[in-house]
Amino acid sequence: MANLERAPRKSFNDLIYDLIFKNYVWQSIFRTGYPNTPRNQMLAVATNVFLHLHPTRIHRTHVKITHTYCLGGLSFFMFLGLTVTGVLLMFYYVPSIERAYQDIQELEANVRFGQLLRNMHRWMAHAMIILVLLHMMRVFYTGAYKPPREFNWVVGVVLFILTLLLSFTGYLLPWDQLAFWAITVGTTMVGSAPVLGDESKFLLLGGFSVGPNALIRFYTLHVIGLPLVISIFMAVHFWRVRRDGGLARPL
Amino acid sequence: MVSRAAAAIRTRPRREREAEVLVWPDLVFIEFISALIFSIALMVLSAMVNAPLLNRADPDTTPNPSKAPWYFLNLQELLLHMEPAWAGVIVPTIALVLLAAIPYWDRDQEGQGVWFGTKFAGRLTVFGFTAATLITSLLIIWDGSLHVVWTENVIRGLGLNSDFAWPGGLDWFRNLRGFDTGIPWDSLGFTIGGFTMFDDWRAIPLGIPGTTTDPWLLNLNFPSFLSQQIIPVATMVGLPVLFVLFCKMLGWIHTRRDIALLIFSAFIGVYLTTTIVGTAFRGQGQDLKPPWDIVVLEE
Repeated sequence: MANLERAPRKSFNDLIYDLIFKNYVWQSIFRTGYPNTPRNQMLAVATNVFLHLHPTRIHRTHVKITHTYCLGGLSFFMFLGLTVTGVLLMFYYVPSIERAYQDIQELEANVRFGQLLRNMHRWMAHAMIILVLLHMMRVFYTGAYKPPREFNWVVGVVLFILTLLLSFTGYLLPWDQLAFWAITVGTTMVGSAPVLGDESKFLLLGGFSVGPNALIRFYTLHVIGLPLVISIFMAVHFWRVRRDGGLARPL
Repeated sequence: MVSRAAAAIRTRPRREREAEVLVWPDLVFIEFISALIFSIALMVLSAMVNAPLLNRADPDTTPNPSKAPWYFLNLQELLLHMEPAWAGVIVPTIALVLLAAIPYWDRDQEGQGVWFGTKFAGRLTVFGFTAATLITSLLIIWDGSLHVVWTENVIRGLGLNSDFAWPGGLDWFRNLRGFDTGIPWDSLGFTIGGFTMFDDWRAIPLGIPGTTTDPWLLNLNFPSFLSQQIIPVATMVGLPVLFVLFCKMLGWIHTRRDIALLIFSAFIGVYLTTTIVGTAFRGQGQDLKPPWDIVVLEE
């Protein structure tokens, strides 16, 4: 009866499963299998660099879609998407007034999925502004700015301003009539400030009107300066959500 | 040592473990699905609608109307109704500072974490939003002199008077600028203690007396100072105050949270209205036009 002691033959599916998930390389990346016990599920969140922004447990009411509509998370998701599409756009774009417009035209005409890439970046930027505004309304109408979350509301207002500035600096880059005159109108408004108006405008444009200096300034702010600043504020924002006890809920 | 702000915070006594769910899988799943939906929706949108690209930038060819990006068109709309320094810089700065200051003013922890946490929150929100939207629209219509056009058209159209024109005596009611030209300011002048109204408003000596023989003159530019600064600012301060008093009278306001709800909702109403009007209803020369009549000319 020695046959009974032999392990049953593996099915084809099991073989494939083991080949993919139980090999040396896979297990060097994901040390454990799918977390199917509560303890492992909490560990999966706490020990994963991407997931550990979350707490391991969360109040039941906060996973209801109608409580947050995922607006804050989606704003962040838009930022991530904009970073990815933005980096790809940088391969094709040179911020000089001789080349900028032509580069966009060539991106649309000659680059595979170039038009789609640009569209994604554009519509994601608009979506991000709308989502940030809606997120602010959600936080306000659920009274989630109340103590101890006062400071995080202020950080949120700063993030809103930075989002607008990121979008505004990106608006000039295609160097078409829409971009040029929108930035001209926008910076003229800055120039009307009662104190340091002309100085701020000059600082922003690197001159008295929109020209090559303005383009390189807006580009630098758009692709590195403001993203760095907004990343810092986002880190504080998310950290404070955790530190202040997660999402607000009734006492 | 506990800071004052921290000491004022009431803490929740116990963790209700039984009311908690695990982030993996419950929350991570929702985040994944919402990210997926947005990715697909934006991908579809991007496949269908192309980002605009007009002609190459040309500083010598000005499009009419020239517009800022849509999210600044609320400010550009304000620009048409008041001094640029107010519209472009001071009003947005004050609005953002007040917005950031809300939690330092409304510090009661009651009503947090639930939608519209107070008894009259729903009414205050609906009233604040609707009334602000309505009043803003009416003010824009008035400053765009549409009431003049409409009145003339109706009276002519009804055949009451085929060459009816807005009466000169009501010129001051044409729009905000009407206050400058429609009122005979020179004949209304009077004197208080050697200070002649309204001529002296045009040159008010400033500076420390005796330090200079030629004092710096502040030009308040009188009628325009009234129509472009005093009236707009009084409107922006006065209407919210009236809103609060009105809702207090109705018995809807009991806490600071109620006031915050009312004013924030009104702010959202104004924000949306000015953005929509600025985006879709401003044609050449920033005249009010229905969206289908708006054509951009290059000049």
